[in-house]
Amino acid sequence: MNIVLSVIQALGVVLLAPLVAGVIKTVKARLQNRRGPKVFQVYFDLIKLLNKDSVMSTTVSWIFKITPFIYFASGIAAAALVPVVTNTSSGIGDVFTLIYLLALGRFFLVLASLDAGSAFGGMGGAREMFIAILVEPALLLSMMTVAFKAQTTNLGIMAIMVQSSPLSLAYVFAAIAFFIVLIAETGRIPVDNPDTHLELTMIHEGMTLEYSGRKLALIFWAAAVKQLIMILLFILLFLPGNVFDGAIDIVIKVLLVAMVIAIAETSTNKLRLFKVPDFLAVSCLLSLLALVAQ
Amino acid sequence: MIAGDLYYLMLLLFSAGVVSVLFTRSNAKLTNYIAHSIALVGSITAILCAIFVFVQGKVDVVLPVALPFGPIGGSIDYLSAYFLLIVGVVGAATSIYAYGYSQEYYNCRLPLMAGLYNAFLLSMVLVFTVSHVVAFIIAWEAMSVISFFLVNHEYEKKVNTRAAYIYIVMTHLGTIFIITAFLLLAIGAGSMEFSQLKGSLVSETSRNIIFVCVLIGFGTKAGMVPLHIWLPRAHPAAPSHVSALMSGVMLKTAIYGMCRFFLEFLGTGPVWWGTLILVLAIITAVIGVLFAFIEHDIKRLLAYSSVENIGIILLGIGAGMVFMSTQQPVLAGVAFSAALYHVFNHALFKSVLFMGAGAVLQAAHTKNIEQLGGLIKKMPYTAVFFLVSSLAIAALPPLNGFISEWLTFQVLLFLPQALVGITGKVFSALLIALLGLTGALAAACFVGAFGIAFLAKPRSKQATEAIEAAPPMLVAMGILAGLCIVLGLWPRAMLTILSQTLMNFPGIDSMGLVSHDWYALASPTGQSDGGISTATIILLLLSGAIVAILLHSIFGKGKVAVGEVWTCGIVPNYHMEYTATGFSKSIRMVFKSIVHSHDETVVNANDNQYHGRKLFYHVRVRYLFDTALYRPINKAIIRTAHFMKSIQTGSVQLYVGYIMVVTVVILIWSTGW
Repeated sequence: MNIVLSVIQALGVVLLAPLVAGVIKTVKARLQNRRGPKVFQVYFDLIKLLNKDSVMSTTVSWIFKITPFIYFASGIAAAALVPVVTNTSSGIGDVFTLIYLLALGRFFLVLASLDAGSAFGGMGGAREMFIAILVEPALLLSMMTVAFKAQTTNLGIMAIMVQSSPLSLAYVFAAIAFFIVLIAETGRIPVDNPDTHLELTMIHEGMTLEYSGRKLALIFWAAAVKQLIMILLFILLFLPGNVFDGAIDIVIKVLLVAMVIAIAETSTNKLRLFKVPDFLAVSCLLSLLALVAQ
Repeated sequence: MIAGDLYYLMLLLFSAGVVSVLFTRSNAKLTNYIAHSIALVGSITAILCAIFVFVQGKVDVVLPVALPFGPIGGSIDYLSAYFLLIVGVVGAATSIYAYGYSQEYYNCRLPLMAGLYNAFLLSMVLVFTVSHVVAFIIAWEAMSVISFFLVNHEYEKKVNTRAAYIYIVMTHLGTIFIITAFLLLAIGAGSMEFSQLKGSLVSETSRNIIFVCVLIGFGTKAGMVPLHIWLPRAHPAAPSHVSALMSGVMLKTAIYGMCRFFLEFLGTGPVWWGTLILVLAIITAVIGVLFAFIEHDIKRLLAYSSVENIGIILLGIGAGMVFMSTQQPVLAGVAFSAALYHVFNHALFKSVLFMGAGAVLQAAHTKNIEQLGGLIKKMPYTAVFFLVSSLAIAALPPLNGFISEWLTFQVLLFLPQALVGITGKVFSALLIALLGLTGALAAACFVGAFGIAFLAKPRSKQATEAIEAAPPMLVAMGILAGLCIVLGLWPRAMLTILSQTLMNFPGIDSMGLVSHDWYALASPTGQSDGGISTATIILLLLSGAIVAILLHSIFGKGKVAVGEVWTCGIVPNYHMEYTATGFSKSIRMVFKSIVHSHDETVVNANDNQYHGRKLFYHVRVRYLFDTALYRPINKAIIRTAHFMKSIQTGSVQLYVGYIMVVTVVILIWSTGW
C-alpha cells in the first residue's frame, strides 16, 4: 500500500505547491511595501496558461516537446519520496533517488533550452548546469550529516531520527548549510532571481524562454513542486523537534520557511555568478562542521 | 564439458577471423562480411561459454600450444566468465556495427584492420582466461601491441602516430610493473601457475611492493590519474568500433587484473591499501570528468569520461579492500559488486556512445562538436541511442548507471564502519560529495555533448548534409542501449551473476544483495527499508507523466503556432547558438587551478574597423599533468641522453676499450681481490 500513499502524497504536494509559491510572493510584496498579487494568484496564472495556445520554434525537435512532461513527472516522482507521511517511501527510493530524480528533470530542461538554438536559452542552460554542479556536493554533504547519524539513506528513518532528537549545534550548522542549498536549488536571490526578465541575470527564466501556453504552465508548476520538495526536506530532515502535533506542525513550519525565504530574498542582493561558488563553499564547510560536531 | 568445448571453438573462430583476411583481401566487401561475421559468431560463443561456466561451474582447459615453459593452462572461473561475458556482449555489438562502419575503410587497409580486430578480441579473451604467468604476460603484450596497431591504423594523420607512440610507451611502462609484481609472487611461490601464487608466501615488505606495482601497472592500463595521459589520445585515434572495444573492454582487463591480485593472490592487506586506492579513485573521477566537460572533440570527450568511470569503479574496489581489511565481508561484497556492476554498465553505455560518435563522424566527417548541430533530425535513431546512454552515464534513474552509482554511494555511506573516528567520517563524506560532483559534471558534460551535437541548427555544411547511419550500426547501438534499460529496471539479474562471481573469494560475502524482489535493491546491511525499487520509480515517473498529460489537455488541445525563434528582428542563424566552449566556460573559470585555460580573441585588423570584422576565439587548455609531471620527466630523460652521448661517441675502438675495462674489473673482482 506504500505506493498508493506515496502517490496521494505526491498529488497533495503538487496541489499545494503553487500556494506556497503564492505565499512567498505575497510576503515579499508586503516587505517591499506593495499590496502584491493574491495568495492564490499562482493558481490563476497556471489556469490561464493551461488555456492558452502556444508558439513553437521551427528549430525544435521532440526533445523540446516532451521535456515539460518529463520535468513534471520527475517532480511528482520526487514528491512521492518526501517523508511527509512518514516512511511511505520506504523500499521505493531514498535520498540519492530523490536527488537524481530532480537531476533527471534538470537534464531534460537544459537540453530543451539548447534545442531552440537561441543564445538566451543556451546561456540559461549553461548557467543552470554550472550551479547544479556546485550545488550537488553541497546538497549531498548536508544530507550526509543526517544520513551518517541515521546509518541509512532511507528518508523516513532519517526523518524519524531527526524529529526525535534534541536540538544541537550540529543541527544548527546542518540547517544553515541546507538552507543555502535550498536557495540555490530553487533559483532564488542571491543565486538566481525568479522575477527577472533581464537576459543578463536570468537562469531558470532563460531556459524556459521559448516555452509558452500549456507547456510553460507545466514547467512553472513543476518548479513550484520542486521548491516545496526542498522546503519539506528542510523542515523534515534539518529542524528537529515538534512544536505542534502532526500535520499542523508541518503546515506551520512550511509557512515559516516560506516567510524566511521571502525575507532573505528582500534583504539581499543577487550575487555575481562567480561569487556563487564561495556561497556554496560556505554550505559545504558548515556541513563538515556539523559532521565534526555530531 | 560444453563450456570447455565452446572455449576452444571461440579461440578457433577468432583465429580463423585473423587468417580469413589473407584469403579475402582482394575484395573489401567480402573481407568486411566474412571477418566480422566470424568475430560476431566468436563473440556469441564467448557469451555462451560464460553462461555455461556460470551454470556448470569452473572449467580448466589446456591450450595445445607447446612452449618452452610447458603447456599453457587456462582456467575459467566465475570471475573470468564474468569478464568473458563483457567481451562477448560488447564484441558482438561492435562486430555488427563494423559491417556498416567498415565501409569507410574500403580504401584504407580494411583486411589489416579486420584481421587485427579479430586478433584484438582473441588477445582480450586470452587475458581473461589464461592461468599461467608467462601466458598472461604474452596475452597482455599481444593485446597492447595489437591495439597499438589499431590506434595507428590511420597513420597518415600525424596526430594518430603520436597518440600511438605515447600509448605504446605508457603501456610498456605499466607492463614492467605488472611483470615485477608477478615475478615477486612467483619467486615466493616457486611456481608460475596462478593457483600457486599466494601473498602469504612472501614477506610483508614484498607484499606491499607487489601492491604498489599492481596499482601502477594495471593503473596505467586502466587510465588512472596521473597515468591516464595516453588514454584521451589513443582512444579517439582508433576506428570507432575499436574505440568502443578499447574503452568498453580493454580498460577492464586492468580491473580484472586488480581483482585477481587483490581478491585472490595477495589476500587481505592493511587498511592503507584500500584508502590509497580510494584517494586515487576520487582524483581520477573528478579530473577525468572535468577534462571531459571542457573537451570539444567528441571522441576525446568520451575517452576522458572513461577515465572518470574507471575512477568510480576503483572507488568500489578501494572501499571493498578497506572492508576486507577490517573483516566486514558483507560490505566488502557489496563494494566489489558495485565496482563490477559499473564495469558492465560502463562497457555498455560507453560502447554505444563511441559507436554513436563513429556514426556522427561517418555522417558529418568531423569529431568537433562545435561544427555539428541539428543531427537529431537527420539521424533520429542514433540520437535516441546516444541520449539513452548519455542518461545512463550521467547516472540518472531509471537507467543502469544509476544502479551502480547508487550502490557505490551506499558503500561509501557505510565506510565509517571501517574507518572509524572523525577522520573516517569526514573522509567518507568528502568522497560522497566529490562523487556527487562527478555525477553532476558528467550530467553537464553529456547535456553539452548531446545538446550541441544533436540539437538546434546545424553549424556547418557537413552537419546539414548528414544522413542516418547504416542499419547494422543502428542495430548494434540499439541492442546495447536496450541492455542499459534492462539492467536499470532489473538489477537482480546482474546482482545474481555478481554474487556468483564473487562467491569463492575469501573475505567476501556477496549473497546479501540478491535475496529480494526482482525489481528491488536492498540496503547493504540487509535492512529491508534501506533499499530502492527500480520498477516503482518507473511507475511513479509514468504516473507523473500521465498527470502532466492530463493537465496539458484539461482545457482541450490548444493550437500550436510555428514560428522562428525571436532574435530581436535578425534572421536567426547558427552563429547565435550557444557553443560547447561557452557551455563549459564557467566551469573552466571556477576550476582554473586544474584546467589552466587560456582564452584568446583575435580580431582580424585588416578588415574595415566598422563592419565585416572577423573575430576568432580560441581556448587553449594546459593540462596539469602534462605540464607539471610528464614534461619535466621528458626533459630529464633528454638531458640524461645528452650526457650519455658524451661517452657513446660511436667509435668502435672506444667501445672495445670499455669492454676490456669491464672484463678486467670483473676478473679482478671474481678472484676475490
